[in-house]
Amino acid sequence: MKFYLLIHILFCLIILSFNVKAQNQIVADLSQENVEISTDFLGAKILLFGAYDGRKGDDIIVVVTGPKGLATIQKKGNILGVWVNTKKVNYINAPKYLSISSNRDIDKILNQKTQKISEIGLNNLNVRIQPGKPINNEQEWREALTRNMLKSKLWSVNENSVSLIKNSLFRSYLSLPSNVTTGKFEVKILHYRNSKLISKETSNINVSKSGFSAEIYNIAQNYSTLYGILAVLLAVFIGWGTNLVFRKV
Amino acid sequence: MYYHNQTNNYENLMYIYLPIAEQPIHSLVIIGVGLIIGFIMGLVGVGGGFLLTPIMMFLGIPPPVAVASVANQLVAPSVSGVLSHWKRGNVDFKMGTVLLLGGVLGSSIGVILFNFLDKIGQLDLVIKLSYVIFLSLIGSMMFSESLRLILRKRKGKISRGKLHQHNWLHGLPFKTRFRKSKLYISVLLPILIGVIVGVLAAIMGIGGGFIIVPAMIYLLGMPTSLVVGTSLFQIIFVAANTTVLQASQNQTVDIVLATLLLLGSVAGVQIGAKFTNVLKGEHLRLILSTIIILVSLKILTELITIPSDLFSIVIRR
Repeated sequence: MKFYLLIHILFCLIILSFNVKAQNQIVADLSQENVEISTDFLGAKILLFGAYDGRKGDDIIVVVTGPKGLATIQKKGNILGVWVNTKKVNYINAPKYLSISSNRDIDKILNQKTQKISEIGLNNLNVRIQPGKPINNEQEWREALTRNMLKSKLWSVNENSVSLIKNSLFRSYLSLPSNVTTGKFEVKILHYRNSKLISKETSNINVSKSGFSAEIYNIAQNYSTLYGILAVLLAVFIGWGTNLVFRKV
Repeated sequence: MYYHNQTNNYENLMYIYLPIAEQPIHSLVIIGVGLIIGFIMGLVGVGGGFLLTPIMMFLGIPPPVAVASVANQLVAPSVSGVLSHWKRGNVDFKMGTVLLLGGVLGSSIGVILFNFLDKIGQLDLVIKLSYVIFLSLIGSMMFSESLRLILRKRKGKISRGKLHQHNWLHGLPFKTRFRKSKLYISVLLPILIGVIVGVLAAIMGIGGGFIIVPAMIYLLGMPTSLVVGTSLFQIIFVAANTTVLQASQNQTVDIVLATLLLLGSVAGVQIGAKFTNVLKGEHLRLILSTIIILVSLKILTELITIPSDLFSIVIRR
């Protein structure tokens, strides 16, 4: 099955690549544009593939950015021997998902300065701190954000994960962990030649809840009191039911 | 969809995505945990929540969801337990009602406090500190009491003594007669106990059995035979109140998690109850108190050892 599909994809791509070669464009497609979080969701692995008008030595970087929102970093301090959260910093537009993939080490593709300007790399993201009290040692907090997001697998850097085939096809797997949030994910495919961006293509992945799990979530959000009462009644019913069953046994 | 990572692994079929906790979990693990906790509950009459909530947090369920869902699951084994005790005439409904009035008030205060602590980022600390303080206190009390009883029985001395000790607590106003428990005490005392237990129940995700049972024995002086059934009776209402409030205030009740847990626990309670005649009460309490002390030491160690990363993250949905 898998083999057939691969052949099929490759065939399509070869045709595509002939068409786009002249226009200096990227053509890309995803194996899945809608990811549904249903009861059996364990994370998703999406195949990104496409064609580009490449030469020997060209590079491809793929950046997937999830919805942005508030992330709070807390720092513990020791109070009377107990480790307590004593300080916090709010990042107001931290991406809740980020994956950076490339065909080789990003440092070899772009120098530090270019990475910074084009906001590529975990440390070059434009995340803002909620205005308020001045923070000393901002760097330390920013590193903590990156470290914790990497640990939760919501952020990732996968160098050498984009396969390039004959300077005209590329392929990469994007993995969404099971704790991924819902929303629109932007997929950016960047084509570099001698550290210069020569073409770019964007595409979207839509992550949403579906089925039973989505319905429960919606009831819990929109009819929360009713949901609570139902949860209690279900428990009462099961408790009473077991008692009947075990009395007979 | 074809290229989706479909490994067709049977193991994967056992995973179920929790809609509120927003993560998949192995369903058999949860049912198994429920079964063991239910067994302890049926055997000793207490010990559902205080072990369950830390286990859920250990499995990676966010503390607010763990606390609220454990409260929800507690309703089922409590209903089931009360029905069995009722049949044997082991429930003092008058005392239970007075306790639950306090309990409902207390758990309402608890949910508000819970919400506030979550907002200021100290919820985790308060949950853990409450566990350390109450578990070590109750654990050591229960341990020494049951050990003394075992040693005394070994020596062959069985002292009868008074029904219970009288102290200043019995001098409070609004004295009421609790026929079933053979007590003539102030209603303020059980109401106050109910309030305190209610607050703790809401914050710690427990029924409060492990606090209320010793309180009923040592502070109220209730007969031991009535204690378990009566405490289960009041736990139903405290847990139900906590569930509805947590659901409406914080949307943290995961009905799927709670249902998986209670499927295990209701069966466990019944099995545990069958073993109560095999094992002696004081021996059970000795074992349980040892577990309680160990759990409290474990949490204490977590609080006082230097964390591997001083920084932690909270991502708001």
